[in-house]
Amino acid sequence: MSNLAILPILIPLLAGIWLAFIAKKLPLARGSAKFLSILNLAIVIYIFFHVQQNGTLILEMGDWKAPFGIIIVGDLLAVTLVLTTNLVAVAAAFFAPKSLSDKQEGFYFYAFFFWLISGVSGAFLTGDLFNLFVFFEVLLMASYALIVLGGGKAQLRESIKYLLLNLFSSMLFVTAIAFIYAVVGTVNMAQIAERVQEVEQQGILTTIAILLFFVFATKAAVFPLYYWLPNSYSVPNPVVSALFGALLTKVGIYSILRVFTLIFTHEPGLTHNLFLWLAGLTMIFGVIGALSTHNVKLIVAYNIIPAVGFMLMGIGIFTETAISGTVYYLVHDMIIKGALFLLVGALAHLAGTSDLRKMGGMIHHYPFLGWMFFLASLVLAGIPPFSGFIGKLLLLQGGLAEEEVIIVIVTLVTSLLILFSMIRIFIGAFWGEKNEDITVNKRAADGYVWPIAGLLALSVTLGVGAEWFYPAIQSIAEYLMAPELYIDSVLKE
Amino acid sequence: MEIIMSILAGLLFATGVYNLLQKQLLRIAIGTALISHGAHLFILTMGGLKGGAPPILVEGIEQYTDPLPQALILTSIVISFGVTSFLVVLAYRASEVNGTDNIEELRGNDYE
Amino acid sequence: MLFAVLLPFLASIFIPFLAKWKDRIHTGIFVTLVPLVIFIYFIQFLGTGFQPEARSYSWIPSLDMNMNFYLDGLSLLFVLLISGIGTLVAFYSIYYLHKSEQLGNFYVYFLIFMGSMLGVVLSDNVFVLYSFWEFTSLSSFLLIGYWNHRRGSRYGALKSMLITVFGGLSMLGALVFMSVITNTTSIQQMITEKSIILNHEFFPLIMGLLLLGAFTKSAQFPFHIWLPDAMEAPTPVSAYLHSATMVKAGIYLVARNIPIFAESEWFFVIVSGFGIITLMWASYMAVRQTDLKGILAFSTISQLGMIMAMLGFGTKVAIFAAVFHILNHATFKGSLFMVAGIVDHETGSRDIRKLGGLMTFMPITATLALIATFSMAGFPLPFLNGFYSKEMFFDATLDLESTSNAVAGFMQQALPYLAVFGSIFTFVYSMYFFFGTFRGKAQISELPKKPHEAPIGMLISPAVLVAGVIIIGLFPELINKPFISHAAASIYGGEIDKHIYFWHGINLPLIMSIAVLAFGTILVLTRTKWEAVYRFIPGPLSMNKVYDGSVKRAETYSARITKTYMNGSLGRYFRLILGAILIITFGFMAATAGFEFNMADSAEITVAEILVAIMMAVAAVGTILANNRVAAIIILGVVGYGLAILFVIYRAPDLALTQLIVETVTVALFLMVFNHLPQLKMRKQGWSTKALNLTISIGFGALMTLVAISAHSSNWFDSISSYFVENSYKLGGGDNIVNVILVDMRGLDTLFEIAVLGIAALGIYGMVKLRSNKEEDA
Repeated sequence: MSNLAILPILIPLLAGIWLAFIAKKLPLARGSAKFLSILNLAIVIYIFFHVQQNGTLILEMGDWKAPFGIIIVGDLLAVTLVLTTNLVAVAAAFFAPKSLSDKQEGFYFYAFFFWLISGVSGAFLTGDLFNLFVFFEVLLMASYALIVLGGGKAQLRESIKYLLLNLFSSMLFVTAIAFIYAVVGTVNMAQIAERVQEVEQQGILTTIAILLFFVFATKAAVFPLYYWLPNSYSVPNPVVSALFGALLTKVGIYSILRVFTLIFTHEPGLTHNLFLWLAGLTMIFGVIGALSTHNVKLIVAYNIIPAVGFMLMGIGIFTETAISGTVYYLVHDMIIKGALFLLVGALAHLAGTSDLRKMGGMIHHYPFLGWMFFLASLVLAGIPPFSGFIGKLLLLQGGLAEEEVIIVIVTLVTSLLILFSMIRIFIGAFWGEKNEDITVNKRAADGYVWPIAGLLALSVTLGVGAEWFYPAIQSIAEYLMAPELYIDSVLKE
Repeated sequence: MEIIMSILAGLLFATGVYNLLQKQLLRIAIGTALISHGAHLFILTMGGLKGGAPPILVEGIEQYTDPLPQALILTSIVISFGVTSFLVVLAYRASEVNGTDNIEELRGNDYE
Repeated sequence: MLFAVLLPFLASIFIPFLAKWKDRIHTGIFVTLVPLVIFIYFIQFLGTGFQPEARSYSWIPSLDMNMNFYLDGLSLLFVLLISGIGTLVAFYSIYYLHKSEQLGNFYVYFLIFMGSMLGVVLSDNVFVLYSFWEFTSLSSFLLIGYWNHRRGSRYGALKSMLITVFGGLSMLGALVFMSVITNTTSIQQMITEKSIILNHEFFPLIMGLLLLGAFTKSAQFPFHIWLPDAMEAPTPVSAYLHSATMVKAGIYLVARNIPIFAESEWFFVIVSGFGIITLMWASYMAVRQTDLKGILAFSTISQLGMIMAMLGFGTKVAIFAAVFHILNHATFKGSLFMVAGIVDHETGSRDIRKLGGLMTFMPITATLALIATFSMAGFPLPFLNGFYSKEMFFDATLDLESTSNAVAGFMQQALPYLAVFGSIFTFVYSMYFFFGTFRGKAQISELPKKPHEAPIGMLISPAVLVAGVIIIGLFPELINKPFISHAAASIYGGEIDKHIYFWHGINLPLIMSIAVLAFGTILVLTRTKWEAVYRFIPGPLSMNKVYDGSVKRAETYSARITKTYMNGSLGRYFRLILGAILIITFGFMAATAGFEFNMADSAEITVAEILVAIMMAVAAVGTILANNRVAAIIILGVVGYGLAILFVIYRAPDLALTQLIVETVTVALFLMVFNHLPQLKMRKQGWSTKALNLTISIGFGALMTLVAISAHSSNWFDSISSYFVENSYKLGGGDNIVNVILVDMRGLDTLFEIAVLGIAALGIYGMVKLRSNKEEDA
């Protein structure tokens, strides 16, 4: 029992409130945002090591024993993801002043930003299904506010679709919780798991599980539920896109991972096989989308989708190796998607257009940016020894051990096409004749560089230094494959 | 009674979805409101509708209705209210800026 | 050994700094030292008593991905080629690349390539091997795109990368599969466990994926098309990557895996089949080229095909010949590329139609070219190493292991003829290259520069290689025992005791050589007469068109596919999403027999409730039918108030109150906002859309109802609520249980529910306010 576990949720919540009050004093707001994001990161790092050494942190809110009160469960998976979230958040906090207009910053950008982080962290940490819904709403509400910020035509247009689809899935979520409550009489995830296990997931339970899957799949952007994603992620400011791309779909994937390794694990032949099929289709259609456009922001946005397919594939295969692949990929993808959205945002801003066909020769003006983009493309495509490769390798191993040959081939083809879609940007935007007419904005470029470089350095370390991280990921996978560990740590103290 | 309430909630969902599939923003907003009513009715129904006193402790009464669904609905109502208000203002702004309240004219065309 | 592999990478870090002084010292001078050091380090391993050596350095032990290096004869051959040719090429580049070029970039890519290539041939760990493998593809991509302001460079770079990375990924699939089933990541271990791989049900797939990797990298038909376009790279790169080393990585991979796969007869059919087709096709195509480097590119492809074919034979003599030819090819082809670079550098053109008669202007270059081309042609002279390996190739085609497989048997019959056919064209393009460039009438006026002999420094590297041609030709035994036979033995898996002679007496291989010479000479002399045949073959069959077509189609089709569903229409999105949810969820309900119906636990039906329910139902349907916005909103309000009444009936006073307030505010908000919007219109909708919408919405409502009924009927557990009833007052200090739950047991929900409201309020404020500011600005 320790109050530590609530801090990653509470600090951003309070930070957001503070920043809502001082929003108009820009220098103070910027400074506070940077400071508070680093502070939060520091605390989360401490929590991470604490959990790694002492095991899962359980916090019973208001001292109400599980399953009656809301339980915060800081297991290694949750704190790892919270840690990654905060790494991206720090980069975003440093990038934001360079990329937002003063007006956008003044209209509570930082407040929404912290509330988003609070909601995301809450979603990772909570051990209560209804509370998960509440945190979903917090992060969604913050994301609605962020996506309309600045209010251009396209932004408003895409926000409304984004909001409506998510609103629908939220309502489905509440309803599914109601159904679960009707059957098992509780909303505590550990207890649901225990009771579902007791009746061996018979009767209507699998159907409810699928409804719940669709709820999460809408957030995660799984085929065929991702239609809202590409446009709505490509219209807002790069910082906002980076936060969305890095965090939001991952919350969906996390929820699928949690629910289908903890609760609904008794009909894998049905549920997890469905995931495998959807994973393959998600990869294919996602990468086809990435090849279909010349808008650099859209290309990156589409590239979120095949990554979701990779992660879902691991859940579908449902072995320890495959799950560790999913978790590795999850961490990797949060970081690299953050970096990539910032990169294309910077690129589009410096080039004055998002249309690939109108760019060219940028490497002569911005060599550092160009090489970072090249590196990021390699990381994304899973070229070894970078982080994407480790996750993909584990997924391939998991898949081939189960002789799931088709999905493995789809994965390989998708990887190639991802690389193609990214290298197309590199060749089109950075290579080519030096364009002397461009007014080089060195100062802006320098401002963009450091947050991106930080994220990329993390990605590279995560790959080359896999030995430092893999044991933790592996123990997460082991833990996930043994749901009684979670149940016991929550219910039996 | 649960069956009738389930059918009613299902009907609210059905009409909500039908409105959601329309083109005008107002209809779509009405659709979302109907769906959230449906969802709340489902929560209530799933807690069981059988008798019992209102969940306010009174000396001597043993049988109360299930309080937990009520708490959940209350939270959900408030959240839905927040989201719906946001949606309504957003719809207003979007149609004002884009000059139409027809969602089909708000497609945007970034595919070249 | 680790240091040898890392040295180029480490050196590449310093290059950008060294490149800053490039005006004073050409960066290439430093770079030349790197491969030279490596070459000197490895040359000490040569000798008759050579034994394979293994070193391991741990990297990611928990994934079994370690820097395990294994130096056997095969690796040593490649290491020496990479570092030896690397030294010569780096030295040559000092004269080839002017100081005004971006030397820093060039040498960084160059060193990264060198290190990766060393890694490929030294790694015993399959994942490390794959890592280095992809890095050779990527550095090749960067080097081909070195002059990226040229369209051709960009095209060639992308093409080479797509094809080689495609192969790399396919190889990865095979390697992971092999490592999963044998439970090891070491190739040497896999060789000892080969029966598992050979007997696996997916063996054909594994072999196919692996060979796909090898064929793409080594430019085998039909994946060869990237290599000619790779000639856009600076010539030192072509000499190094695209002739001597990187393209031989595929050869290396096949050679390395022969101990595992050779038992399968299909290995022979596929590897030799593709090899021989490549040999014939590319040597035939080489004669058509007009660019000097184009001729050399196709010539490289055909020679690679020949080596590949020999590896497929798997016999002692074939493997020995293959290894020998790897070395020979590196010597003569490396020098020819450098010659082509010199010609380009000194005349400003590589177009064979403009060249000719250069012998008088550049006699030394011409002499070097003469020796190298004749060696490549396999001209029977005792000081040309190419003749020896060509003769062994013929010998090998005649001496194949007997087989029961019909396809393999047929191929064995045909092979000697095909080999002769390919060699005739090899002879033809060699002569075409030499005579077209150096003999004939000079057309000085056509050339951008007046030709003259190259500076001495530029001639050193090709001269060294040509010296190699002659030395190996004169004293083949010199490199046999200490070098070649080790390499061959490590592929074959046993001692190979083979001697290399010039004269074997009059035998079949010699007759084949003479036939090549005779037919080749005829074809060379009559080339202008039969050239027209190229208009029919390949004509439209070109693989390039397939590639261009698929890249283009990848874009157009993906755009078309994506546009069909991602058309921005929210209605379409919803229909697709709901349709999918409906079908899959109903499917699951059916598959798990999920529907249950049990009335035992139900509340009684009362008239009041029915009346409210009917009122709400009517109102809900009414929202659809109303075509007046105020009416629609008010009808919506009726549903909301109806719900509030239900809350009252079901004894939820707090809910009823909240619902009343919220509903009132919502309706007010709707009225306020939508007052500014246009009137509701019955927009025209086709009957099919209407029917579809109706089906989806009824289906969805039905789904929810059915699941709800089943869920309610499956009430298998007691709710946790009794705890709340018991403890609300005792522990929570409140009589109103719902309130206690909200503020205490589930206080976190409530805190964040308020947060949601707050965010919404601030967001709405921002939406409204930021707009008005903007309009003031406008």
